[in-house]
Amino acid sequence: MRQLRAFFFRLAGLFRKDRRDRDLSAEMETHLTMHLEDNLRAGMSLAEARRQALIKLGGIEQTKEICRERRGLPLLETFFQDLRFAFRMLRKNPGFTAVAALTLALGIGANTAIFSIVNAVVLRPLPYKDSSRIVTFHTKTAMFPNFTLPLTWPAFQEVRGQSTLLEETAAYWATDRTLTGVDQPEVLRVTGVSNGFFEELGGTAEQGRLLSEQDHKPGQDRLAVISDAFWRTRFATDSSVIGRKLILDKEVYTIIGVAAQGFAFPERSEVWLPLSLTPEIEQNQKFFRFQVLGKLRKGEKLETLQAGLGAIGQRIAKLDPALGKGYKLSAEPLLESRVHDAQQSYLVLLAAATFVLLIACANLTSLLMARGWGRNREMAVRAALGASPGRLQRQGLVESCLLALLGGTVGIALAAGIVGVFRAIAPSGTPRLAEITPDWTLLWFALASSLVSGVVFGLAPARRAARMAPSEALKEGTAGSVSGTSRFGSALVVVEVALAFILLIASTLMMQTLAHLLHQNPGFRTDHLLTFDLPQPPQWNQKDSESSATGQIVRLKDMLAQVRRLPGVEEVVASDHGILNGMMYEHSGLQLEGALPEQSAVTESVIARYISPDYFHMLGISLVRGREFDEQDQQGAQKVVMVNEAMARKYWSTLDIVGKRLSVSTDGKGTPQWNEIVGVVANARDVGIQDEASPEFYLALFQRGVGSHHLIVRTQANPDALAGTISRQIWASYPDQPVRHVMTLTETIAESVGDQRMHTALLGVFAGVGLTLALLGVYGVVSYSVARRTQEIGVRMALGAARADVLRMVLRQGLTLVACGAAIGAAGAFGAVRVIASELYGVKSSDPWTFAGGAALILIVGCLACWVPARRAMRVDPIVALRYE
Amino acid sequence: MGERADVWQGTLALMVLKTLQALGPLHGYGIARRIEQTSGDLLAVNYGTLYPALLKLEQEGYISSEWGTSDNNRKAKYYKLTRAGRKQLEREAREWEQTTEILARFLSPGKESA
Repeated sequence: MRQLRAFFFRLAGLFRKDRRDRDLSAEMETHLTMHLEDNLRAGMSLAEARRQALIKLGGIEQTKEICRERRGLPLLETFFQDLRFAFRMLRKNPGFTAVAALTLALGIGANTAIFSIVNAVVLRPLPYKDSSRIVTFHTKTAMFPNFTLPLTWPAFQEVRGQSTLLEETAAYWATDRTLTGVDQPEVLRVTGVSNGFFEELGGTAEQGRLLSEQDHKPGQDRLAVISDAFWRTRFATDSSVIGRKLILDKEVYTIIGVAAQGFAFPERSEVWLPLSLTPEIEQNQKFFRFQVLGKLRKGEKLETLQAGLGAIGQRIAKLDPALGKGYKLSAEPLLESRVHDAQQSYLVLLAAATFVLLIACANLTSLLMARGWGRNREMAVRAALGASPGRLQRQGLVESCLLALLGGTVGIALAAGIVGVFRAIAPSGTPRLAEITPDWTLLWFALASSLVSGVVFGLAPARRAARMAPSEALKEGTAGSVSGTSRFGSALVVVEVALAFILLIASTLMMQTLAHLLHQNPGFRTDHLLTFDLPQPPQWNQKDSESSATGQIVRLKDMLAQVRRLPGVEEVVASDHGILNGMMYEHSGLQLEGALPEQSAVTESVIARYISPDYFHMLGISLVRGREFDEQDQQGAQKVVMVNEAMARKYWSTLDIVGKRLSVSTDGKGTPQWNEIVGVVANARDVGIQDEASPEFYLALFQRGVGSHHLIVRTQANPDALAGTISRQIWASYPDQPVRHVMTLTETIAESVGDQRMHTALLGVFAGVGLTLALLGVYGVVSYSVARRTQEIGVRMALGAARADVLRMVLRQGLTLVACGAAIGAAGAFGAVRVIASELYGVKSSDPWTFAGGAALILIVGCLACWVPARRAMRVDPIVALRYE
Repeated sequence: MGERADVWQGTLALMVLKTLQALGPLHGYGIARRIEQTSGDLLAVNYGTLYPALLKLEQEGYISSEWGTSDNNRKAKYYKLTRAGRKQLEREAREWEQTTEILARFLSPGKESA
């Protein structure tokens, strides 16, 4: 208590200092006078009395100083002194201050931006109630070895039964559905949800209400909840929206509520409906469509749940041998399932940003060190006048922290800018993109990292300043001893160059990857192609699939004919999924006629495409055997199929398979329904440009009709110009037909490598910044040492050294540092880039050319960095240099 | 002069408090003189020890000060004991007695054998 009271007095003592000082002087004055009077009374002469009193009472100034310290808080007071001094020093050297603050701003800005992105995407909990306990469920089965599937309805019911472990469960099924009854038909992201969905996520309504249990009763379930974003764009936040009708695929739904702003689950969902299922689907053990969410009870472990799922999995697997092979149910925290693949690449970016910050710190340390040498004298004088080593050290730290805060402030602005740019260029598939905003965490992070870096880069120079013996520093004067003194600075430069080299290699590898991807030959002509989707109502809604397929085929043929007639269109074909957009369909349970013995019943699934006639001809994929589909391959005619080379070689080990048969499905009694193979085509990468050509087979779209249609148009001129014309032509005849994702193939390819493009861009920027900073570091150290060695160089020249010798000497010094850094960096890079090996394509992580090129580049720029100081050294005039100082 | 010892900081506070208790409000010079006299001139009190000690006691709230006029009409700062100061004096005096008693037992010969 007493200490606290004393503390407040002392805090108050920081103010009104002058009055207190005067008070004390007056008090001591009185004291002295009284003493004097007593001495006089004792019979001393005035002079003697005064002398005795002064001897006895001791130094007045010292007492004042002790009282001053005692009165205020010396630590705080000297801190303010240091701060004022630091401000003065920074103002006195605006050039130095600007360079240092900018260097740091780059480091901190990059770091803070990436951190806030990583924080938003990977670290921050999802914005749902108890989101850390929410898990999602997946199925694996040997039927679809390449996929992690959602659950079937029966499996969902089993999971729901685990009520001892899960307090809530819900299923949802996100589909695209067509909104009609409006000016232009539109495709909406619609999510069918089971009961408990909104409760589990803790969703609330902004208008009206959300779906509740009684809304799931069959017959009364044509209800819809719309998203806040949809309400804003489509209904202009009209509150009379409740009760309005929404026509989705010709079914009428009544809007009962608007979900609260920010509630978007699954991402970009616009409408939520009660799931209504046919009894057939409710029984189906192979209809893997239902995403399932569960909330673990408090204190229950994920492992316990996994064990329970294992038991369920075994039970289900016994029901059907084809399904049961490799059947496994598993659960995963929701956050992990959302950010999965993103996690690693973001952590790579964070590491790269940290490298930049470290380089910036190293740079600043050497800058401060160099400046510190220039201030040796000043420090020595201050030490001689009684500044304690601690005090000098503290002052150095205050200066560096102030600098760091300055840099941090600029860095925050920079970070906000980077985050903005990131949001603008991030591909639309980036998880949680909407949640990435500059926020308070960003500010704290920037503040913390600038203070930490201030201490990091300020500590070494400050310690050195404090360690120095003043007598030596004062004596030093013109001393030429350089070797020992700049060793630490050289080490820093080596570290900088090494870090920059690692960044350089990583970003070069990523750039090569991007270049490979963009110039990858997909095996067909990608020029003058325009593609778009014509979404069809989902088939599971149709009562009679055969006749609806006929209707669809007629419609599609008509649309193709209309588009083909448009001026500027060279050719148009249709397929079920687009090309190079990563979308595909796989068939499992194939049976092959005349195939290799071990391959006649294919256990894994194979990519299948539904295509119209002339598909291969139009794309420029060559036919290897047989013929393409043509107009004769109609409904009712012999069912036909084509395969690609990879498939023929894998299952038949020959290309001569025309006339053999392939079965995709069986009839009710298990008899295969055969398709005749009419042709074999060359391999093409039509799914994704990064994928190796894999077995694919093709079914005739006009014989079957499928749920999704995709048109590919070859235009005569610039494909962009035709996009609007084609949409309008289709709407003229089919006003309820949405047309979407109208894109040129070049755009599709660019989008398919969007992630790599963004990572490459960011890594490239970091590498560029890192390299620049490192070379500034080289420049700084070399030119500083030239400045310090001016006298020595003068002596050498006076003794007959040629200018070339001097040049060589300086270059040697600088390039040795760069070479050391590059060597260490190469070793580091060799290990570090393995982390990004999985993101690379067409180039190995240990690519020798990249390493050699990087080293050459860094040496060349290193030369440039040494050039300026080297020339300065060459121009040293021996006479001036000898007189120097 | 040479045999005069400088005062020990911790005990000086106690002496100041005791002096103020005995004599009532007093200025710095008075306190110093009283301490020196009481010690039989064995102690010397200079500025450097006295004023920081007074400042510390005041900050801790054991004494308070105000400007007043001395006997021969001189302006001086007078210190007086506060209530907390009285208590503190009692406490410290007790502790000090205890300490000296203990030390005395160690230092006086023969007691142990008796």
